[in-house]
Amino acid sequence: MKIETLFRHCREAFRSLTRNTWMTFAAVSAVGVTLLIFGFFLVFAFNISFMASELDKQVNVRAFLQPNVTSDDIDQVIGQLKKDPAVKSVKFQSKEDGLRQMKKQWGDDDRILKGLERGNPLPDTLVIKAKNPQKTKQLADSMDQYSQIADKDYGEGVTNNILDLSAWIRDAVFVFGLGLAILAAFLISNTIKLTIFARRREIEVMRLVGASNWFIRWPFFIEGSIIGILGAIVPMTVTLVSYNAVIGILDANGGQGIFKLLPMWPLSLYVAGMTTILGIMIGVWGSMISVRRFLRV
Amino acid sequence: MIEMHDVYKVYGNGVKALNGVNVKIDQSEFVYVVGPSGAGKSTFIKLMYRQEKPTHGVILINGVNIKRVRDWKIPYLRRNIGVVFQDYKLLPNMTAYENVAFAMEAVETPRRKIRRRVQEILELVGLYDRMNALPSQLSGGEQQRVSIARAMVNNPSFLIADEPTGNLDPENSWDIMYLLEEINTRGTTVVMATHNKEIVNTMRKRVIAVEQGVIVRDEQQGEYGYED
Ligand SMILES: Nc1ncnc2c1ncn2[C@@H]1O[C@H](COP(=O)(O)OP(=O)(O)OP(=O)(O)O)[C@@H](O)[C@H]1O
Ligand SMILES: [Mg+2]
Repeated sequence: MKIETLFRHCREAFRSLTRNTWMTFAAVSAVGVTLLIFGFFLVFAFNISFMASELDKQVNVRAFLQPNVTSDDIDQVIGQLKKDPAVKSVKFQSKEDGLRQMKKQWGDDDRILKGLERGNPLPDTLVIKAKNPQKTKQLADSMDQYSQIADKDYGEGVTNNILDLSAWIRDAVFVFGLGLAILAAFLISNTIKLTIFARRREIEVMRLVGASNWFIRWPFFIEGSIIGILGAIVPMTVTLVSYNAVIGILDANGGQGIFKLLPMWPLSLYVAGMTTILGIMIGVWGSMISVRRFLRV
Repeated sequence: MIEMHDVYKVYGNGVKALNGVNVKIDQSEFVYVVGPSGAGKSTFIKLMYRQEKPTHGVILINGVNIKRVRDWKIPYLRRNIGVVFQDYKLLPNMTAYENVAFAMEAVETPRRKIRRRVQEILELVGLYDRMNALPSQLSGGEQQRVSIARAMVNNPSFLIADEPTGNLDPENSWDIMYLLEEINTRGTTVVMATHNKEIVNTMRKRVIAVEQGVIVRDEQQGEYGYED
C-alpha cells in the first residue's frame, strides 16, 4: 500500500470516529474495562510466577545431624552429598549459627532465646539445595541413607500451592476476560456497522469505479484498531501507576519480605505491549465481524 | 469489445429477465438499448459491469470471460468501464470537483496526477467554472455531467449508461447526448439504455431492441420503434 493511501485511510477512520462520538466512547470504554482486568491479571500472573520461582530457589532440605557426630563425620557426609548429581549445594550450619539466625528473626531481647543460649538445643544442620527444586522431596527422602543424619525437613508444597492457586485464578480471569472481550468486540462491530451504514453511498460509488476490496475495507479495520489503542491507554496507565504505588508502599515499609515483587522495568514494557496488542486484536476482531456481515462484495 | 453468447438471467425470485441474448458490440460503437418497461434493459447493462452475474452463458469483455474472473479481480475489470445512472449517484456532501476526484482516489491515483486530470475532464463536460459547487447547487443536467465526468475520469474503454436522460428536460437531455457523442468520437464505446424516442430517432445510432429478455431487433442507424 502506498503511504499516501495509508494516510487517506487513517483520515477516513478518524473522521468516522469523531462522527459517532458516543458509540466510539462506548466501544473505547468497553475495551478499557476489558484491558484493565487483563492488565491487573498480567501484573499478578507475572509476579506469581516470579514469586514461585523465587520460593523454589529458597526451598532447601534441612538435614539435622545426630547430636554426637564428629567433625570427620560431618566432612564425610558433605563429601558424599556433593557427589550426588541431584544436589546443587551443601552448606553447613552449626548450632551456634542456627541460634544466631533465630535471634535475627525473632528479635534480640527475646527471653526464650536468652534461656536457650546456656544450653543450645538446636542440632548442627546441613542446608542442601536440589538441582531441580521440583525434586526436593526425593532429595529429602534420600537423606535416610546417611547414618549421621538424624532427621530432615523441607518446605513441602509451598510452591505447589501458590502455582495451583494462580492457575485457578488464571482460569477464572480468562473466562471472565473472554466474556468482556466478546462484549467489547461486539460494541466495536456496532460502531463499525454505523460507519458502514453512514458510508454506504460512498462505498457504492467506490465499487462502481473499481476500488479494490481492500481499499474499501482498510479504513474500517483502522477504525477498529484505533478504538482498541484508545481503549488500551487508560487501563495501561492505571495498572502501571497503581503497581508503582504498591511497590513504593512495600519499599517504604522496609523491604518486601517474602513477597518480593518484580521491579517496574521491564514489567511495565510487557504490560504496555501486551495490553496494546490485545486492544488492537479486539478492535480488528470487532471490525471483521461488521465488514464480513455488511460489506459483502 | 463486448460479446454475449446465449446469456440467460434468472433473478433469485424466479423472474426470467434475459432469455438467450447473443450480441457483439465493437470498440468505439454507439449503441442504444430500447424496449418496453421490464424488458430487461437494465439487466443487460448490469451484466456488463458485473453488478449481476449471468445465470447461463458467456460474457466477454475485451476477450475476458467475466464469469471466470475471481471476485477480488472484479474491481480491476470495472476500472475499464464507466457507469452512469438516471439518478446520478453523486455524493451530496462533496463538491463537483471532489466527486470526480473521489473516483481517482478510489483507484489509488497519485495525488499530483489527480488535480490536472479532474480539471481537464470537468472542462470537457463544461463544468470547469462550477467545480466547487455541491450537487444540490447544480441543475439536473449539470449533475449528470458531473457523473459522466466521474465515469470517464479514469479513461475507461466503455461508458455504460442506464437512462442517463431519464430525469432531464429535453434541452438538458440534448446537452448530455452531445457530450456522450463527443466522448464516443474520442474512441470510447457507449452503450445506453433509453426510453427517449426523440433522441433515438434524431441522433441515429445502432439500436438494439429487447422484449421479454430477448433481442428482437438490432439495426445500424435504427429507429426507436415504440409509441411511449
Ligand atoms: N434485482 C432484481 N430482483 C428480482 N427481479 C428483478 C431485479 N431486477 C429486475 N428484476 C425483474 O427483471 C425484469 C427486467 O427488469 P429490468 O430492470 O432489466 O427491466 P428494464 O428493461 O430496465 O425496465 P425499465 O425500462 O422499466 O427500466 C423485470 O421483470 C424486473 O421486475
Ligand atoms: Mg431499467
